[in-house]
Amino acid sequence: MFCVDRRFFMNFDWVLLSLLLMVCGMAFLNLYSATYPPLGGMPPYLKQCYLLLMGAAGIIFVISFDYKELQLWNYPIYIVVIVLLALVIFVGNSAGGAQRWINLGFFQLQPSEPAKLMMVITLASYYSRKDVANGYPIQDLITPIILMAVPFILILIQPDLGTALMFVVIFVSMTVFAKLRWSSYIILGLSGIALAVVGWFFVLKPYQKQRVETLLHPVKDSMGEGYQILQSKIAVGSGGLFGRGYMEGTQGHLHFLPERHTDFAFSVWSEEWGFTGSFFFLAVYFFMLFWGLHVAMSARDRFGLFLAFGVVALIFWQAVINLLMILGFLPVVGIPLPLFSYGGSSLLTTLLGMGILMNVRMRRFQTESTLKSCDL
Amino acid sequence: MIKWNFLKELGDISEHDQAALDGLRKRVLGTGVVLVFFVTIIFLRLWFLQIHKGEEYKSRAENNRVRIREVAPPRGDILDRNGKELVTNQPSFNVVLVREDSNDIDGLLKRLSVVLKEDVSVLWERIREAESKQRHIPVRLKENLSWDTLAYLETHNKAFPGIRIEVFPSRFYHYGDMAAHLIGYLGEISKSELEETNTDFYRGGDLVGKMGLEKLREKELRGEKGNNSSEVNALGFEQQLLTHVEPVPGNEVRLTLDIDLQQVAEESMDVDEKSGAVVAMEVKTGRLLVLASTPRLHLADFEGGISSKNWSALLDNPKHPLINKALQAMYPPGSTYKMVTALAGLAKGVITKDTTFFCPGHIDFGNRQYNCWKHGGHGTVNLKRAISESCDVYFYQVGMRVGVDALAEYANKLGLGRKTQVELENEKSGLIPTKEWKKKKYGVKWQDGETLSLAIGQGFNLVTPLQLCQMTAILANGGKRYVPQLIESVTDADGNVLESFTPKLAGELQENEKKYLALIREGMVEVIQGARGTARAARVEGINMGGKTGSAQVVRLEQYKHLKEEDIPYKYRDHALFTCFAPAEDPEIAVTVVVEHGLHGGSSAAPVAKAVMQKYFANRLAVDQIRKAVTP
Repeated sequence: MFCVDRRFFMNFDWVLLSLLLMVCGMAFLNLYSATYPPLGGMPPYLKQCYLLLMGAAGIIFVISFDYKELQLWNYPIYIVVIVLLALVIFVGNSAGGAQRWINLGFFQLQPSEPAKLMMVITLASYYSRKDVANGYPIQDLITPIILMAVPFILILIQPDLGTALMFVVIFVSMTVFAKLRWSSYIILGLSGIALAVVGWFFVLKPYQKQRVETLLHPVKDSMGEGYQILQSKIAVGSGGLFGRGYMEGTQGHLHFLPERHTDFAFSVWSEEWGFTGSFFFLAVYFFMLFWGLHVAMSARDRFGLFLAFGVVALIFWQAVINLLMILGFLPVVGIPLPLFSYGGSSLLTTLLGMGILMNVRMRRFQTESTLKSCDL
Repeated sequence: MIKWNFLKELGDISEHDQAALDGLRKRVLGTGVVLVFFVTIIFLRLWFLQIHKGEEYKSRAENNRVRIREVAPPRGDILDRNGKELVTNQPSFNVVLVREDSNDIDGLLKRLSVVLKEDVSVLWERIREAESKQRHIPVRLKENLSWDTLAYLETHNKAFPGIRIEVFPSRFYHYGDMAAHLIGYLGEISKSELEETNTDFYRGGDLVGKMGLEKLREKELRGEKGNNSSEVNALGFEQQLLTHVEPVPGNEVRLTLDIDLQQVAEESMDVDEKSGAVVAMEVKTGRLLVLASTPRLHLADFEGGISSKNWSALLDNPKHPLINKALQAMYPPGSTYKMVTALAGLAKGVITKDTTFFCPGHIDFGNRQYNCWKHGGHGTVNLKRAISESCDVYFYQVGMRVGVDALAEYANKLGLGRKTQVELENEKSGLIPTKEWKKKKYGVKWQDGETLSLAIGQGFNLVTPLQLCQMTAILANGGKRYVPQLIESVTDADGNVLESFTPKLAGELQENEKKYLALIREGMVEVIQGARGTARAARVEGINMGGKTGSAQVVRLEQYKHLKEEDIPYKYRDHALFTCFAPAEDPEIAVTVVVEHGLHGGSSAAPVAKAVMQKYFANRLAVDQIRKAVTP
């Protein structure tokens, strides 16, 4: 089954791997500082080591088969993830008033994370199968909307608005990328606005509305909702040009920063490494995403291209939302910075996504014939 | 275009698919623009926060990190002249709530209200007042816990999450309410007081002196606050102590007051619930030994803010306990003013030692008859007899001859009609009328008949008990007007004396005036020691004293004239005054007593002065007795 030939190494995306290693290295460094001193139990950095090893195994597994297989396995994967999402509501562990995790014994699985990647695969699969010259008419969008709506609603009732909205973001990104008719844009846009209005008045819980409101005046209530954003801005700002030094950040170490090793991990990095360090990290990070786009462009077929594009979009939007939140432009929504924020499910999912990118890149020259020759 | 090279290898892709794929690839390139757009925004924002505003946020981070907590300094003690402690500090235990440590404040307060025996709404009110403060700042729920409550809360602390016991220095009054008016009390600093002080010493909630010396000597007594600055986390927990500055205790203030004497004075006033004032002063220095005003203030009522019920009770009390009657209340001097008239007469040459006037019991002046208190008359009297028997006619004659302005001149020289400059608030200057004053005030010419009333201390004249005491001291010490003082010394915590008593001479009689004082004193000694003196009740065995009684008319009402004195309603009875000095041979102390509505100086005021004198000379009298017993 495994196809190991010399082209595997020749075509392997060493650039992407190096970029990925750099990002993971910096994330590890930052995690050590952000969780110092460890509170007992297994220290998070050690856990991160295991997760990285699991992720490496996952990447090897993902690149071992042609990504085309994913198209075949798409619906089974979809159903498994949906079942997990449904399960989390009944047997999930709750934290902070929301049920998001399933305890697997060695690992707390947050099914909404792999669900994001599942969404990318599903949509890539759908849009690659169906090619419409002048863009998709609205009736062709009914299936992907339903495919998106099921996990969206399941995650919304956890409740985890931020993650749920990520599904909309992925859906919009990939759908727009796949090209729509003008009529479809208008209908989608109008119904989107209508849904948002209905949602604001009937679905959103008061605390969620408050989050949006405090974004507008964060200083007004510096110990309340705006507190987190304010503290994050103070952390980032106090970093200055060269930062306060590794392990020297007071905002993080004195617990002024909330969620400092998860959602606000980049605040800790900014505080300790300053503008220089932040610039370097973001340069590497975004170059990795640009490289992802390059991978998409070099894909050998529509599915590969959509798949790579979807993975990049997934990581990119999460990163942008997280960074804009940390920098005080968005409300606290609970979206991690992929690869950088601590969180097993997110890390593994993102690494699998990177594996998919590598897979697409590696098999960019591969045709049916070469595939067969490999099997010999 | 290296990128597109591999396309050649894809042989089995149809032309249409090929074109569509190419289109998609261009779209990927297009999405790169979106990526660049957001990356640019993020970099610009990062630059803005870290480079442009970096310094600002750095200082905010510093402030975030360090929490400075003030440590209240122990307030300075107040001692009497002999070092007896009047006011010191004792720990007071208060219940405070840290709101962020409690997730069910409502339930907590309900349980707490039972323990504290306080209504839930009262506790909620305290919390509402602190609403604007950050949630890690403790809110004081109740002060001065009893030991039982304290013990209960300490043993059941698990049941009251967020509740802590705070130890706070509070004032302890060793002599209860003795000298309450002059010591004063503490209260929470008011908003206006906070705004008035330019120093950043005070914070809301601090206790400051609100009255008396606690207020006037606030700066010395308060000490310097210490502080703990510690690194804290966002949860408000202190991680590590960075610096610790010990508070500097307040300075110790030693008063000139003799608390034993004060106690005797106040307790004598308590007999029959007399309302009024007692002042005792060292005649040769101006040290105040007693400064009492009754009814006393109950200092405990003022602690932590006086309730409106107690406050209106104080306001409505007909005996005006809020006023320090020793210097804030003014009385007609009555016959005690006759010394002024005598001095004016002697100094102006109107009378001499031997000048006599005949007292038939009244004098006719203008179209009015001015009576002597003794209706039968004193007959022929000289100055000494006129003072000792308080003959009104004699002083009518003198007053008529010297005139109102000469009386005012000598009243002023004896300290009347002007503030004594004692270090207490709201001192009244009294009133000594002149012709000019009446013209200005009423627009009417001075009537000579008014001078007659003035000469015996009635009419417009008003004096404070403190002024009377000072006047007596001037007469006793030979003409020196010393400022009455209350502070013996101020000593800091290291024992350095920052301030010590020095007599302050505010004025002095001229030599040719001084020589008449002995004559006046002679008359005053006769008042007490003489067989027919009006204040024989004040006599202390073994000590020669001089003094003068007085009764000040409150109203002149015909309807009460025929009544016996006891039947006159309290508020229309005359004030009783008595002022004296001792020993007559070499005066040391002057004592003045005013009993409001006490009728006669001799009967109600003199015994109080006697008690004070007895106490003051107690040791010497005891020694004398022993000497008498030992020597055959």
